[in-house]
Amino acid sequence: MRKRMDVVLVLLLAISTLVFAQGGKESTTKSAGPTKIEMWYTATQTEVGPLPDDWVGYQILKDKFNIELEASSLPSSTTDQDMKIQAAAAADMLPDFFVANREVWLRLANNGMLADVTDLYDKMPNRTKIMFDKDAIAFTTLNGRSYGFATPAMISRNEGLLIRKDWLDRLGLAVPKTTEELVNVMRAFTFNDPDGNGKNDTWGYGAFIEVTTYEAYPGRRFQPLMGAFGVEGTWDMTAANFGLQIHKPEFYDFMKFMKSIIDEGLIDPNWMAYKKDDFRAAWKQGKFGIMREQNAAYAAKNNYSPFDANFPDGEWIIIDPPVGPTGKSSVGPETRGLRIWCISAKAAEEGKAEKIAEMFEWMASGEGYFLCGWGQEGVNYTLKDGIPVTVPGDLGFEGPVGQRYIQLRSMAFNYSSDTELISRYPVYTTDVSKKQMSALWALREMQSKKWTNSMGADSMPVPSTDLKTFYEQGLAEFFTGKRALTAENWKSFVAEFDKIGGTAWEKAGFEYAKANSYLK
Amino acid sequence: MKHNSSKTSVTVKLTGSDKVFNVVVNVFMVFILLVLAIPLWSTITLSFRPATFIGTYIEGMALPPWRWSFAAYEALLGNNGFILAFMNSFKIITQGVAVALLLTIPLAYGLSVKNLRGRKWITLFVIVPYVFNVGLVPTYILIAKLKLVNHLSSIYLPMAIGTYNCLIMKSFFEGIPNELKESAHIDGCNDVQVLIRIILPLSKAIIMTIGLYYGVAFWNDYFHPMLYLNKDNLRPLPILLRNILMAAGMNEFVEASAFGEAPIEAIKAASVFMSAIPMIIVYPFIQKYFTKGTLLGSVKG
Amino acid sequence: MRTRKGTLIKDIKRQKYIYLMIFIPLVFYTVFKYIPLWNAQIAFRDFKSVRYGIIDSPFVGLKNFKEFISSYYFWNLIKNTLMYSFGKLLISLPSAVILSLAIYECRRPALRKTVQTLAYLPHFLSWVIMYGILLSLFAPGDGIVNDVLKSLGHKPIDFLTNSNTFPFLVIFSDAWKEMGWSAIIFIAALMGIDVSLFEAAMVEGATSWQRIRYITLPAIRPVIVIVLLLKIGTIMEAGFNQIFMLYSPAVYNVADIIDTWVYRQGLLDGRFGLATAAGLFKGVIGMLLILSSNYFSKKYTDNSLF
Repeated sequence: MRKRMDVVLVLLLAISTLVFAQGGKESTTKSAGPTKIEMWYTATQTEVGPLPDDWVGYQILKDKFNIELEASSLPSSTTDQDMKIQAAAAADMLPDFFVANREVWLRLANNGMLADVTDLYDKMPNRTKIMFDKDAIAFTTLNGRSYGFATPAMISRNEGLLIRKDWLDRLGLAVPKTTEELVNVMRAFTFNDPDGNGKNDTWGYGAFIEVTTYEAYPGRRFQPLMGAFGVEGTWDMTAANFGLQIHKPEFYDFMKFMKSIIDEGLIDPNWMAYKKDDFRAAWKQGKFGIMREQNAAYAAKNNYSPFDANFPDGEWIIIDPPVGPTGKSSVGPETRGLRIWCISAKAAEEGKAEKIAEMFEWMASGEGYFLCGWGQEGVNYTLKDGIPVTVPGDLGFEGPVGQRYIQLRSMAFNYSSDTELISRYPVYTTDVSKKQMSALWALREMQSKKWTNSMGADSMPVPSTDLKTFYEQGLAEFFTGKRALTAENWKSFVAEFDKIGGTAWEKAGFEYAKANSYLK
Repeated sequence: MKHNSSKTSVTVKLTGSDKVFNVVVNVFMVFILLVLAIPLWSTITLSFRPATFIGTYIEGMALPPWRWSFAAYEALLGNNGFILAFMNSFKIITQGVAVALLLTIPLAYGLSVKNLRGRKWITLFVIVPYVFNVGLVPTYILIAKLKLVNHLSSIYLPMAIGTYNCLIMKSFFEGIPNELKESAHIDGCNDVQVLIRIILPLSKAIIMTIGLYYGVAFWNDYFHPMLYLNKDNLRPLPILLRNILMAAGMNEFVEASAFGEAPIEAIKAASVFMSAIPMIIVYPFIQKYFTKGTLLGSVKG
Repeated sequence: MRTRKGTLIKDIKRQKYIYLMIFIPLVFYTVFKYIPLWNAQIAFRDFKSVRYGIIDSPFVGLKNFKEFISSYYFWNLIKNTLMYSFGKLLISLPSAVILSLAIYECRRPALRKTVQTLAYLPHFLSWVIMYGILLSLFAPGDGIVNDVLKSLGHKPIDFLTNSNTFPFLVIFSDAWKEMGWSAIIFIAALMGIDVSLFEAAMVEGATSWQRIRYITLPAIRPVIVIVLLLKIGTIMEAGFNQIFMLYSPAVYNVADIIDTWVYRQGLLDGRFGLATAAGLFKGVIGMLLILSSNYFSKKYTDNSLF
């Protein structure tokens, strides 16, 4: 009898742990009540925490639109986001409404996982007027039907070439205009102790590797240097000269230029190892004097103040990109920076598409726009001349608690209206040096410089992984000197590149650009 | 911590060779100490680095304590998501280790019985999926079918029987002398009672170790929570940390800082230590089980 | 005369509690490990999503495998994967054993306790933060090691982006991180050695070195063998998380392992059939290795997994 009891006991234990481990049953019953919408969004500030449960918007959506919204934030790393969304698609666990970049969107659309939203634009008249022009709709169109809403995700032309004015002044140098002058300035910054601290610890140029589909290796931070040779961006999108920049003879000139400044030691040698945070920490510690940086990352109060505290006399100015030997210059390729909001095919089948469109429209203007963008008037912001200004304290939209209430900002913003820009980038006085600064002034100046119109470059066909590896690895090996940069080696590199897929890639790009009228 | 020399007290003179041996051991230990300590110290000082620090890494390591800034730790502890994430991790680890041990121990013991019919095949059955790690999507499909998405159990159930842990435990069980089992059988115990009354009390060290291995695996896992937990209030600590560490991914709203004046490197270093603290607290308790010097539980071939 | 079947039933009845004991774990194992294996047939199909069915996805045979094998970098991936796995086996495993022996034999309690407490800490540092540590040590501009080199008059070395130094960086940083943690299992084994064996040896005049060689090591040899065999079984997994955080295009040719390639080509591109095919490929190799090493181990050392 005792033996039996022991056995039963063990069995019960084992079974109960499994049951207990199962947790509660999830109830996904479809009631006649509110439409449940599961949404995955990219948070404005992932670190502060998700949209709080007591967000007023939840109640408004329920009362006004009969929508029960379940919003959850996507991971902050873009590769994590892509993987999560695609894995969910494979397991048929996509949420009803979510945002993705174009490559992911294209795959999902081709796999039949997304809903046809062509007819929903009419349900969102305000939003369509603000942001869905012909190009935006074309961005998400396949075979004449649209499968997502292409929304702006960044301010255009919001980066620029910055240089330390105080270093220039201390060394008695003029602002460099050509590549030659730029190199001389880099030399001075590296070898002539521009910060006057007696230590040999500064460099001319600073950068890190930041690659996008339209800014191939070595990436965004080097675009002004590439622009001097006319090889900015991955593609040359002009009708006359269309092709991959790497095929141009000027690209070899750029490579030689890069190699010379690397060999001379004019660039912060950590550039290949830095990640974005390291790079930003480095300029705040005065490691280098020339860089391409984003307006808010440079000038917004939070970001500028460590630099200000370290170097009260320090000053950056925005300069024109350098002019190269053939008279060309450019800050970099300009695209619209669109991200796509998708409705899953499953949600459409369940009849949720129209409700989603209603909600999306509400967020684009009026009550929803302000709520998602800044919070509640009087609680998180106050209006000064129609511009929302943060309330001092934790609840203000710039404060630690208030920041959580604007996690859906990217769903509401259009990234170009003055309201948004003035609100995001107020004028302020720096703590230590008592200067007046504004990320908006920086932005306006950066937008006035010479950019290359590359509309469509961010939706061009992407290379296969192996081809991309070959491309990046090849260039990197030339930079590190693992492979000698001679005309012959370069030629054989490009030939090999073409052989394993470069030619095919360029051809695919040409057909795509032509079909979509992207050739300028 | 070691030799249970209560049985005999033999005084032996240390030969010259023994003295050399001791010196070698000590030198090695000191070398290991430096190799471990220097990078760890570099990270600790990094977590206390003030935003206004300019200098090399070496200077950072020598930063005197009165210049340390606690801003990073304050920012993290003040982060209201931190406590919630911590509690979620805690739930996962307690449920997970309990389930894992409840499943692994019987399996390991059962396989350690030498004359078990079909033992070789069952062991092979256990090893095959260990080698064929099919990864992401096939497991996700299963989790989705079992409706475990958004349940904390989806984090630990797939890993609840770790083949590595199970087979190590099996080795240890095999080392327990048969005489103990035989005498228990003679006294009228069945196998289950032998397991519970004889084997387990003798195997505390290995059970603690394997429990620790499971615990750490669950505590540090960010991959499965990232895929399977779609509700923000379910997410455990590694997700929060990864968001902090990889926050530079989304460029657009850089104007606001989540962490006030603490520099981002300090935040990263501090967050890593904060997440390791529970393990650091738990481990010494487990280490106690290693000091008893059990006669049994050694592995025999 | 007893038939084999008769013996079988008799055996099962005799050991029914054992079978009962392992029944539920095995059911669990089947559900959570073998069903995904069945799902892994997407490696042989043109799989898009469960929405369109697994079995309903068109069968394409070995197409995904062919794509994997005919990658321009296939042999490079294999070479790097094996290089890191073997390198880590060669360095990390012996270091863990040696460390555990040193901790066991150290007669200065303060030193021993300090090392034992510090040794397992690095295991808790994620590779994201480890990258920061390595940067602080090895950065070409101002890393500690390079600062030391510079003061000695040497040129700084770009450890992280130099394809000659990168593999060593990977292997040794992994050893640093995991040495103390892996040693735990060996310390546990050492704890179980019958101390009277040592005392008998001391009486017979054995030196410490001889004691290690003839008593201590043989006593923990079974654990070492088991750990070694298990690690051989996963030799095709060379440490994705580490390499992913540490690598960059400059060192792709020595850093890209199967898993990082699969991550970029299969997972980020949403081509899960391909990713699964690569996983199965790894598994076949791993299975062959573990079967053969188990065979040899049984033959020559009396220890084996099964």
